[in-house]
Amino acid sequence: MERIPAGEGLLCHLIEQVRPDLARHIRETGEVETIVIGLGAQGTRHAGLMQEFGTKITAAVAPGRGGTRVHETIPVYDTVAECLQEHPYIAAASVWRHYATARDATIEAISAGIPFIALITEGIPLRDMRDIIVAARKNKTILIGGNSPGAIFPPERVKIGMLPDVFYPEEPSPGKLGPKGVTIISRSGAILYHLSDALAMAGIAQNGVIGIGGDAAIGSTFVDLVPLVMSHPHTDLVVIAGEIGGIQEERLAEDILAHPERYPKPIVALISGARAPEGKTMGHAGAIVAPGQEYGTFHSKKAALARAGVTVVNSQYDLIEAVKGRLRRTYFDTARYYEKMRTIWEAKPKPPSWGTLITKIEPNNILISGYPLQQLIGRKSLLEVAHLLVRGELPSPEALKELEALALEGARAPSSSGGRLGEEDLSKALARALLLDRELAAFPTKGSRGPALKTAFALGRVGKHLATILGTASALEGLPARASFTEAIYRTITGRTEFDPRWAGLLEAMAVASVDHGVTPPSAQATLILASTRAAYEVAVAAGVGAITDVHGGAGAKAAEFFKECVARARREGLELEEAAKGLIAEYIKAGRRIEGLGHRIHTQDPRRDALWRLAEEAGVAGENVAASKVVTRAFKQVRGMDLPINVDGVIGAIVADMGLDPIIAKALFIWGRVAGLSAHYFEEVASQPEMRRINFEQAVYKGPPAREVP
Amino acid sequence: MRLYEHEAKRVFQRRGLPVPKQFGVIHSPEELARLELEFPLMLKALVLVGGRGKAGGIKRAENAREARAEAREIFQLRIKGYPVEAILLEEALEADAACYIGVTMDPATFNNVVLASAFGGVEIEEVARDRPEAIHKLELLENEPELPAELARGLASRLAEDLGQAASAVETLAEIISKLYALYQAIDAKVCEINPLLLTPKGPVAADAKIVLDENALFRQAKLLEELGISGRRHDVAEPTPNERRAQAAGFKYLDLLPPEAPKDPEKIYVGLVPGGAGYGIFSIDEVANIGERFFGGRVVPFNFMDSGGGPTQEQMAEMFHLLMDDPRVDLIITSRFGGISSCDIFIRGLVQALRERHAQGKRVVPVYGRMVGTDLPSARDFLERAKEETPEALKEMEIIVGNQKIMAEVIKEGLSRAFAAKGWK
Repeated sequence: MERIPAGEGLLCHLIEQVRPDLARHIRETGEVETIVIGLGAQGTRHAGLMQEFGTKITAAVAPGRGGTRVHETIPVYDTVAECLQEHPYIAAASVWRHYATARDATIEAISAGIPFIALITEGIPLRDMRDIIVAARKNKTILIGGNSPGAIFPPERVKIGMLPDVFYPEEPSPGKLGPKGVTIISRSGAILYHLSDALAMAGIAQNGVIGIGGDAAIGSTFVDLVPLVMSHPHTDLVVIAGEIGGIQEERLAEDILAHPERYPKPIVALISGARAPEGKTMGHAGAIVAPGQEYGTFHSKKAALARAGVTVVNSQYDLIEAVKGRLRRTYFDTARYYEKMRTIWEAKPKPPSWGTLITKIEPNNILISGYPLQQLIGRKSLLEVAHLLVRGELPSPEALKELEALALEGARAPSSSGGRLGEEDLSKALARALLLDRELAAFPTKGSRGPALKTAFALGRVGKHLATILGTASALEGLPARASFTEAIYRTITGRTEFDPRWAGLLEAMAVASVDHGVTPPSAQATLILASTRAAYEVAVAAGVGAITDVHGGAGAKAAEFFKECVARARREGLELEEAAKGLIAEYIKAGRRIEGLGHRIHTQDPRRDALWRLAEEAGVAGENVAASKVVTRAFKQVRGMDLPINVDGVIGAIVADMGLDPIIAKALFIWGRVAGLSAHYFEEVASQPEMRRINFEQAVYKGPPAREVP
Repeated sequence: MRLYEHEAKRVFQRRGLPVPKQFGVIHSPEELARLELEFPLMLKALVLVGGRGKAGGIKRAENAREARAEAREIFQLRIKGYPVEAILLEEALEADAACYIGVTMDPATFNNVVLASAFGGVEIEEVARDRPEAIHKLELLENEPELPAELARGLASRLAEDLGQAASAVETLAEIISKLYALYQAIDAKVCEINPLLLTPKGPVAADAKIVLDENALFRQAKLLEELGISGRRHDVAEPTPNERRAQAAGFKYLDLLPPEAPKDPEKIYVGLVPGGAGYGIFSIDEVANIGERFFGGRVVPFNFMDSGGGPTQEQMAEMFHLLMDDPRVDLIITSRFGGISSCDIFIRGLVQALRERHAQGKRVVPVYGRMVGTDLPSARDFLERAKEETPEALKEMEIIVGNQKIMAEVIKEGLSRAFAAKGWK
C-alpha cells in the first residue's frame, strides 16, 4: 500500500503541538501507533476496518478482557495505563464505549497523555462531556467529538474512527504522493464524506478529513482546529462545514478578525440549514435554531464569516468552484482518480475469514509461527515447540527451565486413571484419563504466561497417563531427580531405565513432527468447538485426543504393522524389499484393505519425511522397515498406477518398527506431540474469538509471523 | 426536554428552593370547584413555550368568580399555536423586588454559567440585547458539581446591590444561587431558571420555574422522571405531525418541512429525502432547493428532514421509504447512502424490501433516485444486481448509482431532470 511516511503528514504535525516526543518517534518509525478503546460491536468491527485501511492498531482497551486479543492479533488490555506500560508510543486513540461509560474511559485516555483522541460515542450526557472537555483542556489534548465519525489522513493512510474507506491518498503532483492539500473540518459526518468526495472528484488533494461531531458540547471546535491545521506547512486551504445551531462559526469569524495572523491561509465555509424550520432539533443535538436567538442561524453564521473574509457557500457546486478559485489550481488528474475509485465500486465482496497465528499449512511446507516444522524436528525439544505454538516464540533458557520443571512435575504427580480397559483405543483411554485429571484441572492459567505453563504441565500429565496405559509406569516413576523431560519421554515410551540419548532424541523428534497441522484436522476442530463454548481446558483437549482414531492420526501403528509384514515376507521369500512390497500391496488391494501411511490431503512430499528419515539414520536406528518405507511409494505406483507419497505417519511407523517397539507407540508419540498443538488452539480460541461463534474451518487464514529460519 | 412549570416547581421544592403555595392543576374550568383555594391566586397556562404572560396565559384572580372567568378565557387561548390543556393554580405573592437567576451552559465555551439580573419577570433575551451590563455572568471553568461558596456570595452581593437590597439579603440570595446550580448539575439539566425570583417580606420565592433536561442523560434520571410521573421522551417544542409521529414510532428522526394540511402546488416537484446522517439531512434540503432554483426555475420543493444514518435496521430503512411514498404529495425520492457506521448493504435491502412490498400490495410507488458509497458496497452491489434480475417489475422506478461515479449534487440534478421529463415539463 502506497503512503507517505507518517512523520510528514498532518496528524504528526497535530501530535507535535501536544507531545513533541511522540512526534519524534513517529518521524523515526514512520508510523503512528493508535489504540481502540471499547470493543462493542462497532469498536470491534471498525478496529478491523481501520487496520485494513492502513492504520497501525497497536492495542485495544476493554475492561475485563485484558490478556485476550481482538482480530486475532491485536492485544487487549484492561486499562489504558496497562496498555501504555507495554506500548509507550501510543499517539492516538478512538473511543467507542457506551455513552454511560464513555466519560471515564475518555478521561483515562486524556490523563494518560494520549495527544489525539477521537470520541466516537454518540449520546454522551452534557455534564459528562463537560468533565471530558475540562480534562482535555488541562492536558492540551486534541479531542474531536463526541458523536464524531473520527478523522482520516489520506496521504499517510491513517484512519482513526469510522469514516468510510473511499478516501485514497491523492497525488498532489502527478504520480507522486505527498502531504500537500486542503484540510476539511466538519460538524457532520455525512457532509464531511460528501465534501471530501466532491473535492476529490474535482482533483483537490486532501491531507486531513476531520469530523468534530454534531453535539452541543464537543472537544475541539473550529476556533481550536483551524489555526492548528493552518500551521501545517502542507495545508494550502481549509474547508469548514458548519451548520445551524451553536455559535462555533460566529466565534471563528470573531477570532479571524481579532487574530488574522493565526489564519494565513484561505478558508471556504459550507454552511447548511438555510431552510431549516425554527424550533425543531434536526438530528444533531447542536443543530437547533432557538426562536429569538441572535446567533445559531444560517444567516448569522453566513454574515459573520463573510465579514471575516471567508468564502461562504451552500452547495457542492459552489464549494468546488470556490476552492478551485481560492487555490487557483487543482492537484491531480481526475481521470486517474476516477479509475482508482472504480476499483472500489467494482471490487468483489471479500470472502469472510478468521485468523490463527499458530500454524500455516502450505503444500509441502508447515510453518509453526513462521518456523518450518522440518527445521524444528530434531533441533528443538517438545517443550520448546509447545511454547512456540502457544506463545508464538521459542522460550528463553530461563523460561525453558520453568517449563521443564512443570512438565516433570506433571509426569511425577500421581494418576488415578485406571489405564487401558481391555483392547480399547489408546486415544480413548488417554482422553478419559485427561478428562478426569484433577491435577490438570486445578492448574491455573493466570497471566500472560499461564497458557504456556499449563501446556507444559499437560504434556507431563500425558506422559504420566501414557505410562500407566502402556505399562511403563515403574520406569517413569524411577526417573532420577535431575533427569530431563526428554528422559521422561524415553522411559514412558520404551519402559527402559538405562538412558539412550540417541533413541530419546529420535522419539522426541517424532512427537515434535506430530505437534500440529493447523485448524482443519478433526482433533483440532473438536478442541476448537469446545473451546468456543468455553468448556474447561481438559474437556476440550480430551475431546481432541478422543478424535485421534485409526482414521485420523492413528495410521502410524497400522503402517508399522504393514512394514513389518513387508520385511518378514522379503526374508521369508528371499525377495527384494520392493518386490515383497508389491506382492503385499496386491494382496491388500485384493482383500479391500487400506495401506496406511500413504498419501496426504495437501502434501505431495511431506516436509517432515526427510527430517525423520535422516534422524533415524543418524541414530543408527534405520533398518529394513525404514528401507521399506522408502520404496513403498514406487511399489504402490507399479501395482496401482497411482502416486501416493509416504506421509509422516508412515515414516513414524517404519521407525517405530525398526526400533522394535510395539506399533501402538507410533500413535502414542503422535498424540503426545499433538496435545501441544491442541493446547495452543484451545488458548488461541479463548483469547481471540467471541464465545459460541460459528466456526467455518475452511475460512481460517494464517496471520502469524512470516516464514523465518530456526535459530 | 422541557418540564412544565408545575413539574419544575415540584423539583425546586424538593431541593429546598421556595416556591409559591401550589393549589393544583386543572384541565377544565369545572375542576376549579374540587380545589381548596386561597385568594388572591395566580392562574398560569401550562404550555412548553415562552411568552405566556404577553399572550394572556398568566392571570391573577381575587375571588372564585374571577378565577372561573379567567380560567375559561385561558382555556380558549392558543399560545404560539399551542392549545392550553392545563392551568396551574398557585398563591399570588406581594413582593418588594424581583430578579432573574439562571444556570446554563455557555454555547461558545461549554462552561457552566450562572446568570443573575435585577431585571426579573421580563424576557431575559431582551435584557441581554438591550442592556447587557444589567446581567451578571459567572463562568465556571471546572464543571464543579457544587458552586464554590465565595463565588455564589460574590454574585449574590452584586445582585443585591443592583436590587438596592440590604447586605442581609446577600446570604439568602447566595443560598438560592447555590441550590439552583447544584440542582442543575444533579438532575443533568440544560437550563435551570427562576424568572422572576420574588423578594417577599417572608423571603425569596421562585414565582416561575424553568427546567430543561438533557435528553442524553434521561437514562440516569429515572428516579426524577418517576417522581414526576413522566414516562418516555417528550417531543421537544412543537407538536409532532402525523408523519413525525410515525417516524418516532419507527425509531428514526424525521421532520415535515410543510404543514400537514398545506395543499400541493401542482406546478412543482415535491422531493422526499432519505439522505443518510443528520448533517447531510440538513444539507440535502438546501442542496435540493439550490439545484431547483439554479436549474429548474424554482419549481422544486424539499419535503422533509430525515436522519437515516447511524446504523438503522433493514425494517427501519424500508419504513423510511414507505412513509414518504404513503404521502401523496411526494413526487420523487432522492436518497444517498454514504456508509460509515451504517452499511450500504442494509440500506439497499431495506429499499428493495419497501419497493417489493408496495408492488405486491398494489400501493403507489414513487420513483427513487440516488447513490450509495462506502461500507459494505461490494455486497450491496451484488444484492442490487440480483434483486433487479429477480423482480425487475417491482424495481423499475428505482435507480441507484453504485460508487462515487458522480457527486451527489449531480445525482440530485439528474433525478430532478427525470422527474421533470416524466411530467413532460421543461
